[in-house]
Amino acid sequence: MELFKENVEKPDGKPEGIIQPEFLKCQECGRETLKELVHGNDSVCVYCGFLFRMPAYKRIETIADEGTFAEIDKTKKSNDPLSFPEYKDKLKKARKNSGLNEAIVCGTCKIGGHKTGLAVMDSYFMMGSMGQIVGEKICNLVDVCLKKKLPLIIFCASGGARMQEGMISLFQMTRTTIAINKMNDAGLLYVSVLTNPTTGGVTASFAMQGDIILAEPKALIGFAGPRVIQQNVNETLPEEFQKTEYLLKKGMIDGVVERKDMKDKLGKILSLHE
Amino acid sequence: MKSVLIANRGEVAVRIIRTCKKLGLNTVAIYSEADKDSYFTKIADHAVCIGPAKAEKSYLNIEGIITIAKVYSVCAIHPGIGFLSESSKFQRACEEADIKFIGPDAKAMEMLGDKAKARQIMVDNDIPVPPGSDGEISDLKQAKKLADEIGYPVIIKASHGGGGGGIRIVFEKEKFDSEFMLVKQEAQASFGSDSVYLESYLINTRHIEVQILADGFGNVLHLGTRECSMQRKNQKLVEEAPAPFLSDSLRKDMEDCAVRIAKIVGYKNAGTVEFLLTEDGKFYFMEMNTRIQVEHPVTEAVFGIDLIKCQIQIALDHEFALTQEEIIARGHAIECRINAENPDEDFKPSPGRIKDLQFPSGFGVRVDSGYIRGDKISPFYDSMILKVICFGQNRQEAILSSYNALDELLISGVDINSDFAKAILKHEDFNKGNIHNKWIENKLCVELFG
Repeated sequence: MELFKENVEKPDGKPEGIIQPEFLKCQECGRETLKELVHGNDSVCVYCGFLFRMPAYKRIETIADEGTFAEIDKTKKSNDPLSFPEYKDKLKKARKNSGLNEAIVCGTCKIGGHKTGLAVMDSYFMMGSMGQIVGEKICNLVDVCLKKKLPLIIFCASGGARMQEGMISLFQMTRTTIAINKMNDAGLLYVSVLTNPTTGGVTASFAMQGDIILAEPKALIGFAGPRVIQQNVNETLPEEFQKTEYLLKKGMIDGVVERKDMKDKLGKILSLHE
Repeated sequence: MKSVLIANRGEVAVRIIRTCKKLGLNTVAIYSEADKDSYFTKIADHAVCIGPAKAEKSYLNIEGIITIAKVYSVCAIHPGIGFLSESSKFQRACEEADIKFIGPDAKAMEMLGDKAKARQIMVDNDIPVPPGSDGEISDLKQAKKLADEIGYPVIIKASHGGGGGGIRIVFEKEKFDSEFMLVKQEAQASFGSDSVYLESYLINTRHIEVQILADGFGNVLHLGTRECSMQRKNQKLVEEAPAPFLSDSLRKDMEDCAVRIAKIVGYKNAGTVEFLLTEDGKFYFMEMNTRIQVEHPVTEAVFGIDLIKCQIQIALDHEFALTQEEIIARGHAIECRINAENPDEDFKPSPGRIKDLQFPSGFGVRVDSGYIRGDKISPFYDSMILKVICFGQNRQEAILSSYNALDELLISGVDINSDFAKAILKHEDFNKGNIHNKWIENKLCVELFG
């Protein structure tokens, strides 16, 4: 005699929803972890604490006070200004993989109760490369900050200027530099947070213009790549060359902040400058 | 229900996976780095490494477990034994994620998980409890005054304790202050709360428990008693069903009391009510565990019922078809827990790699193991390797079958306690029922080790 009135029905077919789970390999310890576990852990390796690249919205979630982030220019996207071969396909793929329209998310929010402009670059979108729209979104955000007299925080993560937009990409270096200068002229605080990697045209423009420049530990921060530099100067480069800690030692940045401490640190900075 | 995630490890993970597979359910195992290549990861349909060995980053990592459950689209989570099995926070997290939790609801867990509150519920409902505090007692002076009133020895217990932890027995008044503070500190460190309560320490008691099943439709069944007095430092070593040497009336009283308790708290799913039975035949409520127990196979053996399957069916809101009178126990079953430890060296844990492993077999012999040959027993978790469960037509047959099975058991590469278990089985006191829950420490260990 069965204990229960009903029987357990054997399910038809395989359970839905198990597509190919994606695993991320840690550059530091080599272990592979389910992608969602990594990003659920603030994009930090669950084993060794290595900082993975963090998706923009995830970053905003960890930094902005809950429910305060108001995005601007969300739908802006590149229209392939130079009709570069295969660029449209690359853009399509980048949008699908990252869930973003471009390599930066801009808006305003509160951090520790203090209102600020916030821009977060996303290296999952074409390595965070800066093209026309990235530059435009930064300039628009600066305009908002100037109008509302808000400080500005930019999380930088980039492989540099976007090759597929040629001179238009390089021009964004100038545009963003001028925009940041306007922040400076208006006496408004600009904090730049350098994350792994911050290189190329972004480093050579707004990333290094911060009134306060912070960086996450062990981030790669540079302009040209180490191999190019080594070939040029014909010298062996130090082991920690172009890493956060090296830049701190050489006075290029103001502080190194652990990911878990970033929100508090930014909140304190904003409160001091209010 | 199409798929189940097992939020546990080792032997119990294997146990749950087996039943799930029998029911045609897809299984997802989570494992820590220390359990990579463990047997349970190999038999699950999917196995995902959740993190490092430390339990907080793996088997206690609620967020991580729910994340994996969502990625793999599981319908239900079985929490197993220990770890998050009695965590109302985990149960709620499953609910929020729209994943069935195979176990009781958070309310029942919270009522019964706070042992001080549970004690108060029993007092309010005239369920016998040992003399002691009305719920939690935090003030040292008050506690000491109460201890004087009850009379020594007294037992100080962590309200949120479990698995034998957060318990101190105080025999002398002079030691009360320090022991009281120690239990509070240990409770805070181990269970996240320094809440404690006080009871009279009953000497030479038997630990008798009753298995409960409640279907959520108001029907509560008991599946008889288990004798669990063979303990060392509050860790059970040998368990049996039904509890021997009980009069029919006493047995019935305990079983009925357990059913009543389950109904009082509105319980659903499997649970175990633990009693202390004194030499003069009085029983007292100790606690109720809101999960499946390690020793559940002895109940399964005498009732022929798969308790994990019952848990799944209750989670699916299936209703009982049988009444209490239609559930019949037969025979006797004994379980011996085989741990990787060396009794000759004060039960020192013996982690390492299993070189040879041969299970006993035969009619009425069951082995539930978390390991196979070549597996590594890590130092991060409990040292239990396997359980040997033997069924007999009567107790004597079960004892003999267990003894012979332990003789056949072969494990090399790590030290095990099978000889110690055999010493229990063949001891005259055990055979005649002259036992209590300090018998192993106060008698057997003294006889064997001096």
